[in-house]
Amino acid sequence: MSFITVYCHIDENSCSVNGETVLQKNEESSDSWFKQLYKDLAIEYPKFYKMDMLSQAGFIGSELIKRANPDLISNYNDDEIALLFANSESSADTDIRFKESYLDKKTPSPSLFVYTLPNIVLGEIAIRNKWFGENMFAVLPKFTPDFFVQYGMVLLTTGSKAVLAGWLGILEGRVEVFLFLVETESNKGEPFDIENIIKYAGF
Amino acid sequence: MIYIGAEEIISPLGQNMEENFQAVCENRSGVSLIPHAGFNDESIHLSKITSISSQNKFEYLLIDILENVLKQIDPQIVSSKKTIVIVSSTKGDLDRNISSPFTDSIAAFAKYFKLANEPLVVSNACISGVLAINAAGNFIKTGLYDHAIVIGCDVISDFVLYGFQSLFAVSSTPCAPFDANRNGITLGEGCSAVVLSNSKEIFKKTSFQLFTGRSANDANHISGPSRTGEGLFRSVKKTLEQNQISVDEIDFISAHGTATIFNDEMEAIAFDRLEINDKPLNSLKGYFGHTLGAAGVIETAISIQMMRNNLLVKSLGYKESGTSKTLNIATENKSSELNTILKTASGFGGCNASLVIRKL
Amino acid sequence: MDTLKEDLKKHIIEQLNLEDLQVSDIDDDALLFSTDGIGLDSIDALELIVLMEKYYGIQVTNPEEGKVAFLSINTMADYIAKRRT
Repeated sequence: MSFITVYCHIDENSCSVNGETVLQKNEESSDSWFKQLYKDLAIEYPKFYKMDMLSQAGFIGSELIKRANPDLISNYNDDEIALLFANSESSADTDIRFKESYLDKKTPSPSLFVYTLPNIVLGEIAIRNKWFGENMFAVLPKFTPDFFVQYGMVLLTTGSKAVLAGWLGILEGRVEVFLFLVETESNKGEPFDIENIIKYAGF
Repeated sequence: MIYIGAEEIISPLGQNMEENFQAVCENRSGVSLIPHAGFNDESIHLSKITSISSQNKFEYLLIDILENVLKQIDPQIVSSKKTIVIVSSTKGDLDRNISSPFTDSIAAFAKYFKLANEPLVVSNACISGVLAINAAGNFIKTGLYDHAIVIGCDVISDFVLYGFQSLFAVSSTPCAPFDANRNGITLGEGCSAVVLSNSKEIFKKTSFQLFTGRSANDANHISGPSRTGEGLFRSVKKTLEQNQISVDEIDFISAHGTATIFNDEMEAIAFDRLEINDKPLNSLKGYFGHTLGAAGVIETAISIQMMRNNLLVKSLGYKESGTSKTLNIATENKSSELNTILKTASGFGGCNASLVIRKL
Repeated sequence: MDTLKEDLKKHIIEQLNLEDLQVSDIDDDALLFSTDGIGLDSIDALELIVLMEKYYGIQVTNPEEGKVAFLSINTMADYIAKRRT
């Protein structure tokens, strides 16, 4: 059996873990919403500022999930946690900015270009945690719980013992982020199935 | 058992598998100097398809390749509920709709063939193709589907070319994988397909056995290859262990070989650590350029063709060793009994993947 | 020269998204690509090439040239001063 043990939501102005609000956006602040979340995490990881929105979203979500489940790192070997992410706009948020860099600003920006692949966020999370496990990024027409269950089960039957999964809807200011952790060796959480993903996702 | 076959390719080298393999056997390259193609009007070497107009090229390629595939299999499986189509691509048709680069093309393609299931798009940088084949194999293994059609496709765009130029990663000459004088990639475009099934009856020609492999992240850098080849090392090690395949059984390695200094060096280090650096090896980037999300499927298709013909194809562009660990790179075409082939891929985001194919 | 160095630091912080740093955090002789210094990486180096063209009109066509020029704020300022004259 496998279970969803932690889940996390981020939208345009609030963030919650297991359904409980962690932070509301401070409209008065000069910091971006993701920067407010980063500061609230109280960690030192200057690379965060270099990441694009997609990577920042995945990074914050994964840090919040780790905070809610502090044993995550020690319970598993460095290659037993698989990363399974998807969205429907790929890396479009940064793609648009990179295109502007060569069309409007007349110089293609290398630091934007390296983020014009949706799986870069998986790399950022892997680097942060020194995780050498499986990676998969899929682009789907809409949020599809079946995909997560189907491929999540594939991962859990081919060597991975936990799956950090997520939907990262990031495009031009719209934020629709839902991350969840699936674990096989756990005595808490709800069964990893389509109904529970729909329930926790809320969209 | 998972069967794989019905391999097809559309590239500058030809409209179908036969034409492509013929060109590869003759050591012809699809790469040519395209005037004013690059940023600031620079002329750039590219492997570019000129037979299809640019408008909706991505969609047409998907349709054309599946038409090719239909001639090689029981056509009824295409629209079956027990069949999944997986498309591997990095950028889809971003010139058509940058905010949603796959939606329109994939929808039109799915409608054209009346697919029962929505195609799955795997977009995992340059390992997309190998990852998609592994995903397809695993879907069949777990019984979710009986058949899978994996299509790898990427087209050349200003976006991608300017991006690689901004990284100073584009070769000034046709790319020379693993060569001492290599200085970067040559971009290519193409489309390729393979069919996987739990039944060999659906194939009109002989099929092969697929051993699905594992992926692994380098956990090192988002765009710089690992200096130790850690992710590739782990991916191949697990793929072999999971399938109980010993190093001795590998007859040939179809490597990634992008022809950047650091990628090829990383692969050489990983193969050395795996003690498979004596195995005959090639990179096909000299023929097709780097076709990104299509590369893994194109190279798997050629690997299968090499097994069908027992012909080891030379690594085009290679002259002298240019990696710190010596590899056994194929410098000439050579007849050779090929039973088991290892295919590897590595990409941005630190991802690595591998798979094994065996003659039945 | 000091104004040039101050401006350079501002541009670097902005262009490279080093939001956790202030101009005063960057010493003129700190090694930009060392983890003891600012800890820039290979992509930052390419972004510095973009910066040189954008703000100073200097084209760096060979990344190897950048490696030497971009060691520290001091070497960058020298490089700009030389290339401008």
